[in-house]
Amino acid sequence: MDKPPLALDPNFSGTGEDFPALLRRKGLLQSAPEVTGGSGGHAFVPTESTTILAFKFSGGVLVAGDRRATAGNTVVYDRADKVLEIDRHSIMAIAGVPATAWEMARVLEHSFQYFRRTQLQEMSVDGKVRALSKLLRDNFGFVMQGVGVVVPIFATYDANSKPEARLYFYDAMGAQFEVTDYAATGSGSPAVRGILYYENNWGSKKLQELNADEAVAIALRALDTAAEADTATGGVDRSGKIFPLIKIVSQDGITTLLDEKVSGIFKQSVA
Amino acid sequence: MIEEPYRWVEAIANRREYVETQLAQGSPIAAIGYRDGILFLTVGRRSRQKIYEIYDRIALGAIGHPGDIERLRLAVIELASTEGFTRSAADVSLRRLAHYSLSPVMKAAFEQVYGPPYLARLLFAEIGSSPKEDLFLRIDYDGSIAADGPTAQPRQRFAVLSGTNSSSELMEKFLQQNHVTDATLQDAITMAADAWSVGRMALGESAIKELPERDAIRKHRDERLIESGIEAAVLERDRRSAIRYRTLPEEELRSNLQR
Repeated sequence: MDKPPLALDPNFSGTGEDFPALLRRKGLLQSAPEVTGGSGGHAFVPTESTTILAFKFSGGVLVAGDRRATAGNTVVYDRADKVLEIDRHSIMAIAGVPATAWEMARVLEHSFQYFRRTQLQEMSVDGKVRALSKLLRDNFGFVMQGVGVVVPIFATYDANSKPEARLYFYDAMGAQFEVTDYAATGSGSPAVRGILYYENNWGSKKLQELNADEAVAIALRALDTAAEADTATGGVDRSGKIFPLIKIVSQDGITTLLDEKVSGIFKQSVA
Repeated sequence: MIEEPYRWVEAIANRREYVETQLAQGSPIAAIGYRDGILFLTVGRRSRQKIYEIYDRIALGAIGHPGDIERLRLAVIELASTEGFTRSAADVSLRRLAHYSLSPVMKAAFEQVYGPPYLARLLFAEIGSSPKEDLFLRIDYDGSIAADGPTAQPRQRFAVLSGTNSSSELMEKFLQQNHVTDATLQDAITMAADAWSVGRMALGESAIKELPERDAIRKHRDERLIESGIEAAVLERDRRSAIRYRTLPEEELRSNLQR
């Protein structure tokens, strides 16, 4: 007899599998092919095409990304969203290949919701951080072939054990690094890290003591600086009035800064 | 036993009686539309959750055997989640889930008399972009569906679930008389708790047959609430968030009912 459309596992355990495993069982999530010593002997060169940054300030975590997507020397798109909301308190910002990164964000978003809905409790912050790590690890076959490298930042608010904002960055293999103050990845990140390090140590205030407007100003300055030397980073497009996407994670959830707000601070403190 | 048609019909009738008996003590659940969405409410043992989030715009209330409820619940979440992932959240439709997936499976399990039936009654609601698009849908253990929603002219913006038919009929009668579609959440909570009380009074050995006076409904409700937990969740029409499901904390419900 054919299986009914709603085939149920006779060995049902109630624990439930995680969402990526469910997708794989249904053939909806392709794992990267086996790694066989890189792509034709070429050294692995990460092709990053963007700049994202995040740092903690007095009101939570600020996550910002420029809007440019590039392929080699070509600008593909100047309004890309690289700062993605995963759930009410989590943001994933992406540097790397958007096709892979957006799919990863989608899997992640559904994973957290699937867990909450089936298990009737919110996934822990550690569990969420690890889930992204696993997705990166699974993607490493593509990375080794020189396609699909993703280097994300993950920012979230931990409401459970010790209420506080948490910030992580990852490498392309899936190692996660928790940071106390700031993180930046992507091709423009060296400049951004320089600025954030400088501000945090010798600026007028430590990053964690900044108010929201000051934090936005520093994020804009950092991205503009990165764009100055890195063609893959969009920075602030003064003529097209395209501003970086900035989101803030706090205890109350995620706020997206409106363009008017960002442009106001830009005119006042950056331009 | 089931080689002869007559025996099969007899077996099904026995099975129906058995399932009805098993479900007869199930504590009622009321789902009612209010000004800003749909409210699910029930009262019962604190150890057992009975109202669940299925997907962004779909909620479930269930009575029956916890094991069977769990299997059906997980199966629906799995279907909705894969559909929402491969297509989009807008493509997840309660009507399709119920008619093409749940109902055939529950009917088959019920009628294959060598296997176990699902001891469960399910009440789903899906919130639309306007009250006219809200869908209330009930699936019984035999796969039969009772729906009140978008295609035909919706008659009423509520639905109930209870252990016996007479209990749910009385609850519906109560809501037909008292339900107002633009009630505030506070008023809706009171109305749903009263509907629950009516349904509960219509269960068990001293079951009532006619709608009691409001004072009797409230008295019974408040007596039950001393021992039992109250559970409620809403599907909100608020467009700011994709996820419309939200559970209401018990303290909020209790303080609301004490007004």
